[in-house]
Amino acid sequence: MKLFLLTLFTGIGSVLLFGQDRPQNGVAPSFPDAYILKNATIIVSPQKTISNGYILIEKGKVKDIGNILLKPANAVEIDCKGKTIVPAFIDLDTDLGMQKPPSAERRDRTPQIDSKKEQFFSWNDAVRPEFLSAENYKTNETDNEKLAKAGFGFALTHLNDGIVRGTGSVIALGSHPVLSSLFAANVSTHFSLEKGSSRQTYPSSQMGSIALLRQTLYDVKWYQKHADNATVNLSLEALAKQLEKPIFFSTSEALEILRGDKIAHEFHLKFNFYGSGNEYQHIDAIKKTGATIIIPAHFPDAYNVSDPYINMEIPLKELKHWELAPSNPYLLASNGIPICFTFGKNKSEKEFWTNIRKAMERGLSFEQTLTALTITPAKTIGLEKETGTLEIGKIASFSVYSENPFEKEADLLETWTFGQPKLYKEAAIDGLDGNYRILVENKTYNVDITKKGSGYEGKQTNAVKKEYEKVAVSVSSNDITIQLKDSINGIIGTILLHGKINSKVGVFEGEGTDVSGKWVKWNAIKHKKIDADKKNKTLVTDSLYKNKIWFPNMAYGYDSLPKQQSYIIKNVTAWTNEAEGIVKNATVIVENGKIHYVGTGNFKKPVNAVEIDGTGMHLTTGIIDEHSHIAISRGVNEGGQSVSAEVSIGDVVRNNDINIYRQLAGGVTTSQLLHGSANAIGGQSAIIKLKWGYTPDEMLVPNAPKFIKFALGENVKQSNWGEEQTIRFPQTRMGVEQVYVDAFSRAQKYMEEKSKGKKDSHRVDLELEALAEILNKERFITCHSYIQSEINMLMKVADTFGFHVNTFTHILEGYKVADKMLKHGAGASTFADWWAYKFEVLDAIPYNASLIHEQGVVVAINSDDAEMGRRLNQEAAKAMKYGGMKEEDAWKMVTLNPAKLLHLDDRLGSMKVGKDADLVLWTDNPLTITAIPETVFIDGILFFDRKQDLERQARNQKEKARIISKMLESNNSGGEKKTFQPTEPKFFHCDTFGEEGSSEHNGH
Amino acid sequence: MLLNKRNNSFVNSILIISILLGCTTASAQEKTMLLKNGYLHTGNGDIIASAAIGIKNGTIVLLKNSLAYSHSVSDWDTIIDLKGKHVYPGFVAANSTLGLTEIDAVRATRDFHETGIYNPHVRSQIAYNVESEVIRTVRSNGVLLCQPTPRGGVISGTSSIMAMDGWNWEDATILANDGVHINWPNSTQRMADNRAIQEKSKDYGTQKQELYSFFEAASSYASTKKPEKDLRYEAMTDCFREKKRVYFHADDLQQLNDIIDFVQYFKLSAPVIVGGYDAALVARKLKDAKIAVMLYRPHSLPKREEEAVNQPYSTAFKLQEEGVLFCIQNEGDMEAMNARNLPFLAGTAHAYGLTEEQAIAAVSLNACKIIGIDKKYGSIETGKSATLFVSDGNALDMRTNNVTFALIDGKIVDLGNKQKDLYIKYKQKYQQGIK
Repeated sequence: MKLFLLTLFTGIGSVLLFGQDRPQNGVAPSFPDAYILKNATIIVSPQKTISNGYILIEKGKVKDIGNILLKPANAVEIDCKGKTIVPAFIDLDTDLGMQKPPSAERRDRTPQIDSKKEQFFSWNDAVRPEFLSAENYKTNETDNEKLAKAGFGFALTHLNDGIVRGTGSVIALGSHPVLSSLFAANVSTHFSLEKGSSRQTYPSSQMGSIALLRQTLYDVKWYQKHADNATVNLSLEALAKQLEKPIFFSTSEALEILRGDKIAHEFHLKFNFYGSGNEYQHIDAIKKTGATIIIPAHFPDAYNVSDPYINMEIPLKELKHWELAPSNPYLLASNGIPICFTFGKNKSEKEFWTNIRKAMERGLSFEQTLTALTITPAKTIGLEKETGTLEIGKIASFSVYSENPFEKEADLLETWTFGQPKLYKEAAIDGLDGNYRILVENKTYNVDITKKGSGYEGKQTNAVKKEYEKVAVSVSSNDITIQLKDSINGIIGTILLHGKINSKVGVFEGEGTDVSGKWVKWNAIKHKKIDADKKNKTLVTDSLYKNKIWFPNMAYGYDSLPKQQSYIIKNVTAWTNEAEGIVKNATVIVENGKIHYVGTGNFKKPVNAVEIDGTGMHLTTGIIDEHSHIAISRGVNEGGQSVSAEVSIGDVVRNNDINIYRQLAGGVTTSQLLHGSANAIGGQSAIIKLKWGYTPDEMLVPNAPKFIKFALGENVKQSNWGEEQTIRFPQTRMGVEQVYVDAFSRAQKYMEEKSKGKKDSHRVDLELEALAEILNKERFITCHSYIQSEINMLMKVADTFGFHVNTFTHILEGYKVADKMLKHGAGASTFADWWAYKFEVLDAIPYNASLIHEQGVVVAINSDDAEMGRRLNQEAAKAMKYGGMKEEDAWKMVTLNPAKLLHLDDRLGSMKVGKDADLVLWTDNPLTITAIPETVFIDGILFFDRKQDLERQARNQKEKARIISKMLESNNSGGEKKTFQPTEPKFFHCDTFGEEGSSEHNGH
Repeated sequence: MLLNKRNNSFVNSILIISILLGCTTASAQEKTMLLKNGYLHTGNGDIIASAAIGIKNGTIVLLKNSLAYSHSVSDWDTIIDLKGKHVYPGFVAANSTLGLTEIDAVRATRDFHETGIYNPHVRSQIAYNVESEVIRTVRSNGVLLCQPTPRGGVISGTSSIMAMDGWNWEDATILANDGVHINWPNSTQRMADNRAIQEKSKDYGTQKQELYSFFEAASSYASTKKPEKDLRYEAMTDCFREKKRVYFHADDLQQLNDIIDFVQYFKLSAPVIVGGYDAALVARKLKDAKIAVMLYRPHSLPKREEEAVNQPYSTAFKLQEEGVLFCIQNEGDMEAMNARNLPFLAGTAHAYGLTEEQAIAAVSLNACKIIGIDKKYGSIETGKSATLFVSDGNALDMRTNNVTFALIDGKIVDLGNKQKDLYIKYKQKYQQGIK
């Protein structure tokens, strides 16, 4: 089809030639070669509009454009007085006519571990670059026309399935007597983080999708240099070529744009992103990517908010998003982010235009709007020379409207495709607006006739009764019919008139019937003009919505992010976790995010420090949760394989989990977000500070040591996963050992080959890279474990391969092997008192922490639970009850000890000058049941305060009421509305499988 | 058997008692006992800073200020000095699966969820495992009575009130078949996990109507003189004769309002809401309708994002303020093993508003009132059963909860458990340097 383009624009031959290769039944279709459209408002480009303009079209392209043009002899002349010509829009995100490859049957519930494809394709069913959209395109006129009617002339179509989705092709949407609708074949490349219809077990999480995409891109790099007959891979071959084309990356939320951007960076690629509509929540970060965002011209429907019982279930974030979503295009564009509009989920062209105008009402200028519909998409797909504007030489694809559709509701009259028209609606004669005196027999009716869309409506201004006011007016070519209501001699009825229009002098005349059915003559004379614009709604722009965004944009979000400040906390009982122990009447000074002073002596007061009186209160460093699964997007387990060292929670941290705030309120300041325990070698973890409101990257502890999750026991061998899950190796503890032996043997071999080979000669293997880091002592292990046998086993395997298990988490039988752990140098992060939830915790005892601690092993108490995470102080205190641990030691189990286990004790975990000012002010001894966190600081920033929390609760409520009232207005004025469907809150636990959280019980 | 070394004299005295009585489990207690000088939390809100508690035949026969009570050693078979220690009524694990489950993930040990939708005839009493290791760990924290409750379906079954010590379920029974448990249909689309799958397709109105119809039928059965026997209706009959309670498991506002209508329509006596997440919003109505609440686990997350972070901690206080009769229960994740933390659930409610004595009542006397055994249990008063325990410090605080002595119906409870045994075993291992 590129051939078609070439011939058209090099001007060789005429359009008719393109039908040539196909045998013709009879004589080929006839159609004019040239047109001249005159007296139109021509929107040439976002910057240029010509009123009363001429446009000359020849052989499918714009030959000339201007205020007055001479009509070439062969051109058909069309008068477009009063009409507006708009360049064809380009939709970059459709799946028009895509013939989906057959997907696997769902009947079989046993896990599919291997690909169903042949060896010479990708090993993963979700990677299918070999899918070529042009070859799988089948014209669907109904779907194409739906877009054409909204003003679109071109659409990029591609398969919406899988992580690597193959190519996209450009479709010409309108109808043309001879041209095919395929315009540019296989011109783009498509990625996503959605596994789609693949039934293969891997990947089962978003982090797995990220790893798979990255590995695939590494494989392509390697393949380009090292492929031979033995390694032929058609998927990699296809993808290698596609990487030179514009790449489109599909996302379901703004954070995925940031995730995709990291991949783009890593491989020096440029991604364009299909946005989801909530990009305004991360404007600054998205701006930094420099990427073009294709956003839906569709905004969420209002909820039906007539029932307060249901309203209480609607999360504030949904309401806020409803209110702010129409501002998304403006907020992006006004920040200089290139945007394109896609038709998206709009049900009709009417809805599309309503939404476009809604976006404009929120501040998006005409220029920005049209650019997003034409020039930016044209550039993005590399068709800016042919499409996007109506400049001379470009394809003559455009739409003709009764009015300027960007200004008011207008009717689509024609669409032009490569210089050929398709008529949708006949335009009414323009300029009939006015006040008319209609004389029927001897009676005069004063009627205002005004234009509405492509037709007219009327109103009787001297009607006897209000209900007689409305006058139906219908205009068709040169004929007019008018229906008037009146009461004559007690008969109420309708006067039906039909006549001819003499628009030059503003006169109608004709015949009709009166209320009694009598045949009458009539005429009408235009009396005066009406100012038509007064009746049309003009755009009122409101660009102030930016101030309504909260960080994060949900309940308890900040209006503006809290900032670092200096603090002096006086007269407080300070739990230093240092040699000084618990210091009474202490003063603690915080400056530049660090602890500046701790003591009872003299101190120099920093300038502008906020003073806090800590009388009667206790100050500690923040709680560190060594084992947490909050703040994670779409999957805590990459359980698709037994070894998934390549995946990283760091790739999928999400900053809008309410549990961040809730745990902050419980005094937690740092959490290690661990991969789950579904497989022997899980994924890499992320260590975050609970900096509520900040972006995921800002939450990550800078230069944190690297960690990876391992797991042993029942979850790894899928003991409690149901009878279908008996295929993946291992199914026994015996097998678990061999998974490790195999993985580390492979890693050793990989390292050997890597060190021997030349630079870039080896195939980068992300899984083995991570394992190599363990062998190189660059990555620490946190291992989920219960039973003494397996704990012992892993330490032996580690000894054999010369690595080290840093932390055993859960470790409920650690008390049985504490001496061996000490010898190995492993620490323990355990539960205070959990047991009896599965067979392998039968010997769990609440004295575990005390016993292990007594042997000299570093012990932490962790949560592994979104609820328990917010009262870890209570859990630590249980060690005093069970085993009689000393108060300070118990407290260290949730502060200093986890800091040690995370190798962050140089920055966190104790109140030492120079360490991070992560502090919690408690109402009481933090180990007592009555202790409540009053104030929480992270890096010297006040993130939580009970008084502020109360204010924020009230503010949440007020905000909700405000938006609900607004939504009610929309409900009552007939806006689209849907019923809210509450869902049970879902959480990630150690054993949660798949991308969705679980409302099931925590299986740990 | 007892672990606390700081109180050797006390430990010794208990050991002596054990030897004297020659029992560790549930043997008849015929003799008399005086517990003196303990700091007594009666459970009904009162405190006696130094109490003398006299027990005869398992019943409290004397309750006085120790300082005002003079006696001779021969007046009592056993005298225990509890100076510096706290005495509490036995705590009650209401709405629990204790004794019905041992290991959550092992199906063979789960005996609380019967198949079927309407199961009022299914009784927990006979499945109660007195030898449960879980029970032993729970009672050693001061929880001495429980209400094993079936789960699942619309009517999940009939609960009973059991002592957490006994030779068999018969002698452990405190009150057989105390009530029928209804999982009130969900007013929104959200479905509780324990709801039978078949019910998911039906809308709220239909499900509610079915419950009405079932109750209509059961009620008419109950008023028929010699009906043709029907197991389900038979099990419901006592609900209409004020002999059996109806427990409505429900959380949402819509449900709570509909339950108020329902209990009034069927004139149910002493109805109970179990869960009651939104109960504070209709507290006045519940009080007026004399509906008690077995409140959801305070250690849970708020259901809705914009709610107060500490909402689950402070709901108890709101109900207390409004005068609703309530107790705190522990249904949820790992509820059986977690029942040993019931004292700390009450402790948290104390931190967020309840007074200490109100918090104690919330897991003792209030629970017994709601269940209907408060004439005999729930508080330490003369005439009531000697079901109580002694803790070194504040039992509601995990830092100080250390239960060293407990009685159920005057019988000394063995506070040992497998976990303590393992602790001692491995402590010894390390002390002896065994590798």
